[in-house]
Amino acid sequence: MSEKLTSKQLSKKITDEYMDEAFHAHELGKLIGYSTAISPVEIFVAHDVIPIYPENHAVANLTAKKGAELCSITENMGYTSHLCAYARSDLAYRKSGITVTKGIPEPDFFLACNAQCFTLTKWFQVLARKGNLPVFVFDTPEYIMDKKAREEIVKYCVLQLKELISFLEEITKKKFDYDRLKEVMKYSAQSSILYKKFLDMAQYKPSPISIFDELIGMAIAVYRRGTQECVDYYQTLCDEIQAKVDQGIGVLPKEKEKYRLYWENLPVWFKFSDHAKLLGSYGGVILTSLYVHAWSFEFDLDKDPLVTLAENYVSRFSNSTIEDRVDMAMDLFKRYSMNSMIMFMNRSCKAVSFAVPTLKDILTKKTGIPALVFESDMGDQRFYAESQVRTRIEAYFETLDALQAKTA
Amino acid sequence: MWDNLSLKEVVDYAKDPYPSIRQWIKDTGKRAVGSTFADVPEEVIYAFGFLPVTLMGTNKPLKKAPSHLPDNACSLARSNLELVLSYEGDLFDGYVLPQVCDTTQHLSDIWRINFPDKYVESYLAPRQADRPSARYWVKEEIERVMASLTKWSGKKITDADLNEAIKVHNENKALLKEIYEIKKKNPAALTNKEFFAMMKLSQQVDKVEFNKSLNKIKGSLKAENGKGYTDVVLVGITCDPPEIYDLFDEIKLNIVGDTLLVGTRYIQGVVSVNANPVDALTERHFKRGFFTPIHDNVYKNFEEVKALYKETNAKAIIYVHIEFCESQEYDLPDLKAMIRAEGIPMHTLDTEYQTLSLSHVRTRLQAFFESLKGGTL
Ligand code: SF4
Ligand code: SF4
Repeated sequence: MSEKLTSKQLSKKITDEYMDEAFHAHELGKLIGYSTAISPVEIFVAHDVIPIYPENHAVANLTAKKGAELCSITENMGYTSHLCAYARSDLAYRKSGITVTKGIPEPDFFLACNAQCFTLTKWFQVLARKGNLPVFVFDTPEYIMDKKAREEIVKYCVLQLKELISFLEEITKKKFDYDRLKEVMKYSAQSSILYKKFLDMAQYKPSPISIFDELIGMAIAVYRRGTQECVDYYQTLCDEIQAKVDQGIGVLPKEKEKYRLYWENLPVWFKFSDHAKLLGSYGGVILTSLYVHAWSFEFDLDKDPLVTLAENYVSRFSNSTIEDRVDMAMDLFKRYSMNSMIMFMNRSCKAVSFAVPTLKDILTKKTGIPALVFESDMGDQRFYAESQVRTRIEAYFETLDALQAKTA
Repeated sequence: MWDNLSLKEVVDYAKDPYPSIRQWIKDTGKRAVGSTFADVPEEVIYAFGFLPVTLMGTNKPLKKAPSHLPDNACSLARSNLELVLSYEGDLFDGYVLPQVCDTTQHLSDIWRINFPDKYVESYLAPRQADRPSARYWVKEEIERVMASLTKWSGKKITDADLNEAIKVHNENKALLKEIYEIKKKNPAALTNKEFFAMMKLSQQVDKVEFNKSLNKIKGSLKAENGKGYTDVVLVGITCDPPEIYDLFDEIKLNIVGDTLLVGTRYIQGVVSVNANPVDALTERHFKRGFFTPIHDNVYKNFEEVKALYKETNAKAIIYVHIEFCESQEYDLPDLKAMIRAEGIPMHTLDTEYQTLSLSHVRTRLQAFFESLKGGTL
């Protein structure tokens, strides 16, 4: 009997098998659909289309500090330096072949869901023109705070999911199987519950996980949801973290965990382990962000699968009003007992960052907690000023220390 | 107020329409509802008895907007926010704000949060235009905005009100179209600046009044085809500051076709009158040309520009890029390459709403047209 794999081994196994299948998709009679990280991929899975996420590939390159090199190549192709570093690094990869991974297979078509951003649609349009390939945009109007409007928005989204199914049927010449979708939804619902349980373990004191564990742990939820192995992975992960909790093991020892931080935005990929160390030296642990919660879906299996898909995708934080984002963040502040926050203005990601100044104003008012705001880029080192960020972090912790001393 | 304007006055009012709008509100007791670009059905707002005003930024300095929207947001969004936060916000009783891109999506939230006492509604037109669901959604949205305006104003409108509004707006577009035709053939009859000032002002002031001015101006235009003009096509979203048109006029460019929201894309929005008005407004949404933040056939931009260039017999294309407009920035490299492959000369202008000095734009523009004339392009 084989030994039970650890979550890390499981993650590697799932990823290797997934990529292996993707690289042989055509031999296996399957097609590759490029997808945005937030998109109703359950429909792809149910139809045997292999989803590939150029964002994930970009993350690998940006984390390995390839951002500046790749982004400069794209800029030489005539693109400006203000565009998202995922897109810039991807367009450069296509031109130069430079990557720290084995690369990703070429697409047969595209699915872009703008609940995340419109950048991906524009980026996919560029890729589509290279091979005259079809692009399907799943358009999710902002989930505005009006009950009636929301019902209408969901209806529009369901209509589009039906169009997506017809689009796939036409491309693959294969009839869509709704029973299969129901099954996929079951896995997706289960893994989402487990994924959320994993994230919520940051509520413990000391927290057994930090955002850096979550950023690694979220990968399978992004690209393998809708499968049994995804469920197995999160079950294993939750069991491992629970074991830590049971033994009182935290990212920092309990007596050292002083600052439980909220992080707004995506991470600075090429700095995230450095940031963990630096913050740790001040007794700080970043517990969560709305970003990692973007994949904690709450699918209702009693509903029509297309309705619950529409409701979930349209209501992601990135497609919610700033007021709703405040409520979502406040919920995390309360549940995770956070006492500090870092608001990252990420030049790459306008879709998330343009809400940050307003979000910061409201959150600091509501919580009474000061915020550290810093501007940089998630992937392009040329926009990262090391000494400046360090100084800001130091100054922030000094402020927090002073505040704590005062209240003590 | 706007019913007997000379060409010069049109240019002055277009540069800063707000004092006249303020006076008009005072005189008529009517209320104004502001919108930003693009595609909000003005006719609906008008039918409710409000003055629909499309906000098109300000050239005045940015004071408050930068703390809400960082400097990598496009200048149009920042400029519009500044306009209402610092300068003209008091003019408007409410706003209907479209969400066409990630920036405008956030902008409408920021706006609503900053004006808690005003009516702020979003218009969520589809960001895809290539499938039947887009039509379904446009209609839903028009009806939702109508219901919202009814709730706010306490007024219910009829089909007749809507048809009347459509008539007034159609007339405005028809007049602009006629004047455009005259201008294309007679570049000396009116300048680019004068013509595009009419386009702009049409989207900001009362059309019943302004149509009268347009009618008179149209009648007064003389057939003057002038000499030494170079016909060009202008491509983009908007073209600001208006002094850019002075540069075009200075080097005798004649804009004979365009894809601007303050140009042909506005005129394309004529609504058919015989149908159910909401259906007709829905249909109209899809009659307009390419708009970069809305997904459509990925070659549409290129195909439209190429067709326009051929149909107008223009000599070159001028692309107006608004700094930090992501959608344009994703389009541009491919568009340039495809246009170049057709052997069509194209020049790109990088613009910002708050720009005061156009010397760099002038130098590059002059160099481009000298090369064009010299045959070295
Ligand atoms: S980082 Fe932001 S802009 Fe880039 S793809 Fe992700 S959501 Fe879109
Ligand atoms: S100029 Fe571009 S970025 Fe700015 S509001 Fe318009 S479409 Fe959006």
